[in-house]
Amino acid sequence: MPANAFSAAAHRMTLTDLPIGAAGRVCELSGHAEFCQRLREMGVCESVVIEKISGRGTLLCQLCNARIALSDRAARHIVVEIMQGEKRWKG
Amino acid sequence: MTRQPVFALVGNPNCGKSTLFNALTGLKQKIGNYPGVTIEKKSGTAYTQHGRPLTLIDLPGAYSLAARSPDEAITRDVLLGRRADTPLPDRVLCIVDAANLERNLYLVHQVLDLGRPVILVLNMMDLAAQAGLEVRADRLEKELGIPVIPCEAVNGRGLVEIKLALSRPEPALSRHAWDVPAAVAPAVAELQSSLTDADAKPPLIARAEALLLLTDPNAVRVAGSTPLSDRTAAILSTWKQRWETEGTDWSGILVNSRYDAIARLVEGAVIRRKQRPGTVSIQQRSDRIDAVLTHPVLGWLALGAIMTALFLSIFLFAGYPMGLIENLMDAAAQAVRSRMAEGDLRDLITDGVIAGAGSVVVFLPQILILFFFIGLLESTGYMARVAFIMDRLMARAGLNGKAFIPLLGSYACAIPGIMAARTMENAKDRLVTILIAPLMSCSARLPVYLLMIAMLVPGATFNDALLKVGIMTGLYVLGAAGAFGFAWLFKRTLVKGEPSLMIMELPPYRLPRLGEVVRQMLERGWMFLRRAGTTIMGISIVLWFLAAYPKTNDSGIGGEGEAAAGTAVAGTTAGTAVVGTAAGTAVVAGTAAATAAPGVPISPITLIAPITPIPPATSTATSATTSATSAAPEAPPPHSAIGQSFAGMAGRAIEPVIKPLGFDWRIGIGIIGSLAAREVFISTMGTVFSIENADEEPEPLREAFARASWPDGRPLFTPLVCVTLLVFYVFAMQCLATLAVVRRETNSLRWPAFQLAYMTGAAWLVCLVIYQGGRLLGL
Repeated sequence: MPANAFSAAAHRMTLTDLPIGAAGRVCELSGHAEFCQRLREMGVCESVVIEKISGRGTLLCQLCNARIALSDRAARHIVVEIMQGEKRWKG
Repeated sequence: MTRQPVFALVGNPNCGKSTLFNALTGLKQKIGNYPGVTIEKKSGTAYTQHGRPLTLIDLPGAYSLAARSPDEAITRDVLLGRRADTPLPDRVLCIVDAANLERNLYLVHQVLDLGRPVILVLNMMDLAAQAGLEVRADRLEKELGIPVIPCEAVNGRGLVEIKLALSRPEPALSRHAWDVPAAVAPAVAELQSSLTDADAKPPLIARAEALLLLTDPNAVRVAGSTPLSDRTAAILSTWKQRWETEGTDWSGILVNSRYDAIARLVEGAVIRRKQRPGTVSIQQRSDRIDAVLTHPVLGWLALGAIMTALFLSIFLFAGYPMGLIENLMDAAAQAVRSRMAEGDLRDLITDGVIAGAGSVVVFLPQILILFFFIGLLESTGYMARVAFIMDRLMARAGLNGKAFIPLLGSYACAIPGIMAARTMENAKDRLVTILIAPLMSCSARLPVYLLMIAMLVPGATFNDALLKVGIMTGLYVLGAAGAFGFAWLFKRTLVKGEPSLMIMELPPYRLPRLGEVVRQMLERGWMFLRRAGTTIMGISIVLWFLAAYPKTNDSGIGGEGEAAAGTAVAGTTAGTAVVGTAAGTAVVAGTAAATAAPGVPISPITLIAPITPIPPATSTATSATTSATSAAPEAPPPHSAIGQSFAGMAGRAIEPVIKPLGFDWRIGIGIIGSLAAREVFISTMGTVFSIENADEEPEPLREAFARASWPDGRPLFTPLVCVTLLVFYVFAMQCLATLAVVRRETNSLRWPAFQLAYMTGAAWLVCLVIYQGGRLLGL
């Protein structure tokens, strides 16, 4: 999965707190094991880059070429490292 | 005799499996641009390039063989050979979205573990190219050692190559080697051995199941219909305890290890091209559309605009074809009456079949318009966006936005909506969704809504159409609000639990394929006609017998052929009916015959009793032409022919219960009849009023409604009663087929019984408040 072309800043935050329009690399999944597994199976696994498109209560994110909707509560279980000044994602 | 080979189609949700299935089999399975369209396995016969037949199975989309929802479990069970009704597939066609190769290959990677011959189909190559991706099939084929075929199922590109691959007599097994991570490898080996020895599984299936047992935290769910032996369960438990003590995330290790293997696999197989300056990428285009359609405010406005356009189209464009069908039905009834001798058979055809089933058929144009819009929305990718904007609202009700996909499906029909709840992972959320799905206004309610709205707003100007749209939108919103309200209640009482966390893949926006939209619209229209010609006609015929028998020679008031007492003046044509005056006489325009022909049972409408003063009320029919003054035509008294029929007895039996809602025993017959299906209300009322007005010219049902009255001369269908009846049909559980599906989906009689009770009880209670409240307000 895409990861290594990004220069990561040291800012870690939940996906909920990621600013709109910013991209972050997933570095930790927390919460119930079942939910974490489903996230991984859908491609939201550790080291992928995810971009927050919009949303407050419900988030709209871009993951590679897929658009993912996440509830705010779900996004709180995804810890990302914000990516700065880089392209959004790598194919 | 050798068995026809069985091939299975497998892939992530919304990657084009059903489109490819249709292209290969020539069948017309439903397709749509949102995840979860296919929720049951479908079979068809496809042919190889050399004409050899094979059975192709289209399986529900899945992200993983570690199934989390009932639809994913079907896919897993077929691939593991657990289904008694389906042989273990000889080969598997894995379909992937070429623009999302890595994510889609996760499932393929698990399928390869099964040791079955696999053909990999790279679908949507056109979208991948638009996204600037070059996917090298030859490279993947070399790495995997299996046929890899680029394809655009929508355009039919790549089908010949797929059929050629299906022709290969001895397909190669994948040579892709994947080393199970060292931390879990001993456990996999031990579990595989136990599953082979103690659970009698074939070695490769046993390995795949061992990996699933370690991927999914819920072993019981993985085992499904094949419970684990004690030995296997003990081994699994021991390993899990050990890892928990060590703090090892065994399932995370397994998934990430697969992704690492996939990343190595696609390295060099996917090349990203730089976007040309000035061009708009797919993502940029989606960003712009999503900025409006998923916006917290603009998104709701867009939804409102789309609903308005839908309902406005129904009211503006359906009138003319509807009138044509009505005329056709009237002409058919006239032709039968003029050509056939009097008797039961003639009455059965005119009053039972034509007035019954025919009164439902006239709503075909509206049904077609509704399904045309639904088809457009399904094919563009908008449906999932509605679920997105609904998520916050759903969360307050205790569900998540994903539950709104089955609820949206219920707008067409509750049955596929309830079945679509199989895509939901949380069992409690799924149950609540099933319980509330029939509250969404399905297409079967549409004829009832349209008829009653036509009673409320008889005009046909643009402003009238807007008013009708407002009422219709209000009914849809009321149903949805009721669904949310009951979900909130159930999640806090019956099935307590936090809403599950929502993660949902949204499909890319696509231009609607008009041919496919029209095909699906015609298919649904044909289903509607078939239903009208079978179920509804059958019920209409039964109801005609129930409404016509037992025959009475003396109906009490007046006799056969006896002219109406009072001051009846025949109305000229069907038209405006203004009923109720302060003077205690009613002014009616209608088709009431002043006298009845000898030998013909007198129409109850001409049986006039002294009229008591009634409160002012106005009821107008749509095609008003003239009006005439007459004594108010009364409702058939309970001792009239229809009143003494079996149907009349049933209607009168429930009248005490429904009278507080403003409904009389004739509406009661309609309500009883429509327990089978909501649109049967129309056919039932068509039959009842046709028998009641047997000696008159056929007339549209709304005109018969406009002239209907209580025995004391008060109009029956006052605006307040029309509103109450509309609200009754919003809430009441009037569909036996839905109850049967709920019984099957919940595997219990308790839940459909509960659903019937709570919905009908709520309908009665809300209608009581509305009707009695309206009366108190002088409405």
